[in-house]
Amino acid sequence: MSTPAITIQKLTKIYPIPFKREKVTAVRELSLTVEPGQVYGLLGPNGSGKSTTMKIVLGLVAPTAGRTEIFGRDSRTVESREDVGFLPENPYFYKFLTGAETLAFYGKLCGLGGARLRERTRELLALVGLENAADRRLGGYSKGMLQRIGLAQAMVQEPRLLVLDEPTAGVDPAGSREIRDLILDFKKRGITVLLCSHLLEQVQEICDRIGILHQGVLVREGQLDELISIENQTEMILENPTPELLAEIRAMVGRSKGRVVEEGRPKRTLERYFLEVTGGSDE
Amino acid sequence: MTAATQHKTFSLARVFAIASNTLLELVRLKVFYFLLCFALLFIAVSLATSTLTFQEQFHSMKSMALGGMSMFTLLLAVLSTAMIIPKDIEERTLYTILAKPVPRFEYLLGKLGGVLAMLLVAMALMIPMLVLVLYVKEQSSLAAASRSLAPGPDRDAALEQIRLAAFSADLIPGLIIIYLKAAVCASLTLLVSTFATSSIFTIIVSCMVIICGYVQHFAREHALGAVAVGTVSVMNFLVKGVTILAMLMIPDLWAFDILDDATGALPLDLFAQTASLGGVYIAAYFLIGYLIFAGKEL
Repeated sequence: MSTPAITIQKLTKIYPIPFKREKVTAVRELSLTVEPGQVYGLLGPNGSGKSTTMKIVLGLVAPTAGRTEIFGRDSRTVESREDVGFLPENPYFYKFLTGAETLAFYGKLCGLGGARLRERTRELLALVGLENAADRRLGGYSKGMLQRIGLAQAMVQEPRLLVLDEPTAGVDPAGSREIRDLILDFKKRGITVLLCSHLLEQVQEICDRIGILHQGVLVREGQLDELISIENQTEMILENPTPELLAEIRAMVGRSKGRVVEEGRPKRTLERYFLEVTGGSDE
Repeated sequence: MTAATQHKTFSLARVFAIASNTLLELVRLKVFYFLLCFALLFIAVSLATSTLTFQEQFHSMKSMALGGMSMFTLLLAVLSTAMIIPKDIEERTLYTILAKPVPRFEYLLGKLGGVLAMLLVAMALMIPMLVLVLYVKEQSSLAAASRSLAPGPDRDAALEQIRLAAFSADLIPGLIIIYLKAAVCASLTLLVSTFATSSIFTIIVSCMVIICGYVQHFAREHALGAVAVGTVSVMNFLVKGVTILAMLMIPDLWAFDILDDATGALPLDLFAQTASLGGVYIAAYFLIGYLIFAGKEL
């Protein structure tokens, strides 16, 4: 049995309020496991404890109680971060650096250097589609490009785990689609992803498993398909059905114990329609 | 399998990466050029000291130029250091750095290294201006003395005195002390920024401590003197305790104000004593800052 990518055991985080006796419990007795290769969606409204959980996993915040591990290593240790890449919500990075310089800077922090770092920088710029903007300063990047360079820096040391906080926040639909495709590409490469997002439709498309946090408590957790499928209903989409065929199906349903709940033409999503009409990227 | 090499507990390469990035960040700030231009202007203006004897002129020029350099490097140290950590937190860049295998000690050391390198760059740009100004004055004084005095031993002695009064190696210890004072203030500002919530708060607190640093000397003498002549009481112990604590927390910046001495020959023991004090302050503030930053919740 392989070591889980993330293990969270009975995690509690309580923040004191300055100059008051009151305390705020951001996370309460949270336990969950993310297996290697999974894309795990951590969902919840604002203030539900998602960001605190992520920060504890990354060692940026100390837990009040409980324990978190990354591939079996205590996440409070610096060594545990060798295997993790992080993209925070709305990152700015250093505006005075170019895309290539940014990746070189983060690469050096991970112990890369020389020809190996140059090669890795080129690979990552190609991966996120920013080769043409490699020598442009980040101050001139669009929101979508910043998110993509953010994903590239998270990947610089080829980590086995990516932690992404709202990776498509503030990005237009085309940019959002590109980032989603990148995450799916990471998934194909076997990289584990912990994703926090408010965009439920996107989470549904990408994630294998989800956990829903509410007021610091994990209220639901499981495989996405199991959680959202309706047990006693079946969907069938027909192409070019004749009116006679539809009438026959309705009659058959009528003769059985079943019931037609809804009938109509399936619709493409507004996002798909928007992308068909505009078709471009944000570069 | 990660592309990164085996993790090292301490890596000079990581510190250097953070320091060089911080240096790049600071020398691209507008405040750097603004203060530097003012400093260069101030040094150049020191040339206009005409109504004195040439020895007084050189002394006055050096005092004014070195005073200007001291003031501007101190301002530069506080204003630029106050920005780096709060800005990294505000823009979440700090998260992306500390989410890599980078210990907080290295991050802070890299930031301090970057600031100290920036101060070196500022000094390296100001010193040639000082040398140029003194050279111009030396040449004009030599020409004036040659014209006004008849050839002979008196003129030779006067010319030699002018050459001795211009730039000499005696100025170097004074310049090092100016740099160290700015470095102490940078280290102090870095310490404040580890618990501050914004750049403006950091600047205000640091400036207050620096002002206290200039009067610490008097306060210390007054408080400890009063205790010495007074009767033994709980109050006296309290005053002494608070004074010692303040002495530890607030740098004695008066001890670095040896600029008048710097215009002449600075005794080696005074230079060594002041430089050691500077080193101790920098190390102490950095370590206290690290202890606060190590436990900081981001």
